[in-house]
Amino acid sequence: MSAQQTAESTNTMKKKILPYLLLTPMILIMGVLVYYPILATFSYSLKKWKLTAPADIHFIGLKNYIDILQSESFWYSMENTLFILVMVVVFTTICGCMVAMFLNIDVRGSGILMALSILPWALPPYVNGVLWKFVFFSGYGFLNKLLLGMGLISHPIEFLSARWTLLLVVSIVVIWRSTPFMALVCLAGRRSIPSQIYEAARGDGATRTATFRYITAPLMLPFVGVGLTSTSVTAINVFDEIVSLSGYSDLGKNILMESYLTTFEFLNFGKGAAMTYLVMFCALILGVLYLRSLNKEVEY
Amino acid sequence: MKYMKKIVYVCELLLFLVVTIGPFVWAFVLSVTPDNAVFAPTVKLLPEHVTWAHYGELFSPDSRRGTAFFSAMLNSLRAVGITLCIGVPIAAIAAYALGRMEFKGRNLIKNLLLITMVIPVMATIIPLYRMFAAGEMLDNIFWLSIVYVSSYLPMAVWLISNYFATIPRELDEAARIDGCGEAKTFFYVMLPLSYPILISVVLIMFLNTWSQFQIPLILASSMETKPMAIIVSEFMTKDSVQYGLIAAAGMLALIPPAAATLFFRKYLVAGMMKGSVKG
Repeated sequence: MSAQQTAESTNTMKKKILPYLLLTPMILIMGVLVYYPILATFSYSLKKWKLTAPADIHFIGLKNYIDILQSESFWYSMENTLFILVMVVVFTTICGCMVAMFLNIDVRGSGILMALSILPWALPPYVNGVLWKFVFFSGYGFLNKLLLGMGLISHPIEFLSARWTLLLVVSIVVIWRSTPFMALVCLAGRRSIPSQIYEAARGDGATRTATFRYITAPLMLPFVGVGLTSTSVTAINVFDEIVSLSGYSDLGKNILMESYLTTFEFLNFGKGAAMTYLVMFCALILGVLYLRSLNKEVEY
Repeated sequence: MKYMKKIVYVCELLLFLVVTIGPFVWAFVLSVTPDNAVFAPTVKLLPEHVTWAHYGELFSPDSRRGTAFFSAMLNSLRAVGITLCIGVPIAAIAAYALGRMEFKGRNLIKNLLLITMVIPVMATIIPLYRMFAAGEMLDNIFWLSIVYVSSYLPMAVWLISNYFATIPRELDEAARIDGCGEAKTFFYVMLPLSYPILISVVLIMFLNTWSQFQIPLILASSMETKPMAIIVSEFMTKDSVQYGLIAAAGMLALIPPAAATLFFRKYLVAGMMKGSVKG
């Protein structure tokens, strides 16, 4: 083999190895801090493991999962989770589309409006929860003062101490935080449609509803898909807002909160891990949809 | 008809402003309300006297809560610094490989990375807690920030690699003909061309780190590491809850992310529109 050939073959070798080399730091971090813990959590979920009984840790198969599915507390949290999920997905989509249409109108200062509209998304969810707690405060908070002042109620409403009003407030805060992302995704979708298509449709005499039905809606669908899946994942994983609105109480807990309480309050690592796996399973189904909608957007 | 349209627009604008900025205005009003008048049983919205005592207490060096709050703000800021210094370079080189190179397993790695965006913090935190406890890494801002980085990498790599993929191949071919190696092409061609997306990623990482609550709730326990949101939450659960003080702390805590959002809105909007997720 001549010297030149050797140089060439080391060069192609280098080319083959280089991408893996560049990916090494990322794979290292993700492997140690994400993938390994996920697998470990699964192995915990198959064990009887209470920190209060550290000598008695052993494999019990699916017993944790069966116990959880049979406990009333889990179904209570499940109802709460589903309530938040449905409320957040429906109203974030509606509000997001409305804000997108609003932002699409070109006026002076529309840049400032855009900045204001993403503010709820940009700020810490915990602090957002605190701000809204002041509005829905059970005593003389902003809303109660307003309603009392208008004479609509005679006593302050205890928004945060009843289950369904608390969940409603949690949903409102999460909707408020996730609307900006939905709005921007819709806006990106709307702006990606070339105006020639609309001109052509108008030339062919298409009505407004037909234009929306056959042009706007299908072309925006992939973008709305990204927004929808991302919003659902956010809605399942709500945590900070619940803590700031009602503390670590049982009243408004979702499954994630229940898993937190089981793990760190009752120190039942096995059961807590199993509960997280149930949440993650739901999130993963959405995640696959998310991945598909993201990839579709790229092709588009 | 044109007149009608204008009225409708103004109504929409008012509704938008009330819902978006309303909570901030109300929190500000509470923060300048004297303690005995906060949530007082009247229907009056504005206090009779305006007081700056809550801000005064936070800024005073002898106040225990003030020192706690500002050390927490500083902790959050330090975490932001570490996160950016480590997260952005790692994301950029990984994105270069995924966005510009052909190799075996590329799609698998990309999908495995992206799918972790939907995984709840609780799914990784118990083993992380045990690992950190065993390695004496608990309650350490550096390791805490590395955990943050692991949760941002999917978003960052996705955004940057998509941007890299849009840069024409002819450019790096030209660079190569001029004698640039892979490294020089990366630093002198790719990075300068992709500054808009890099700024977006920096901003999103900054905002996310400023928002952290769940991870430090479990992994940070001392004054030297606890970030802003945790300290505010401790103000909320103390026996004598002072809502005026909490409102003032909340207002101050919102200044850095709000300022960054208003100044760099162009880059943030562009980043969000490309399909990123936060939190």
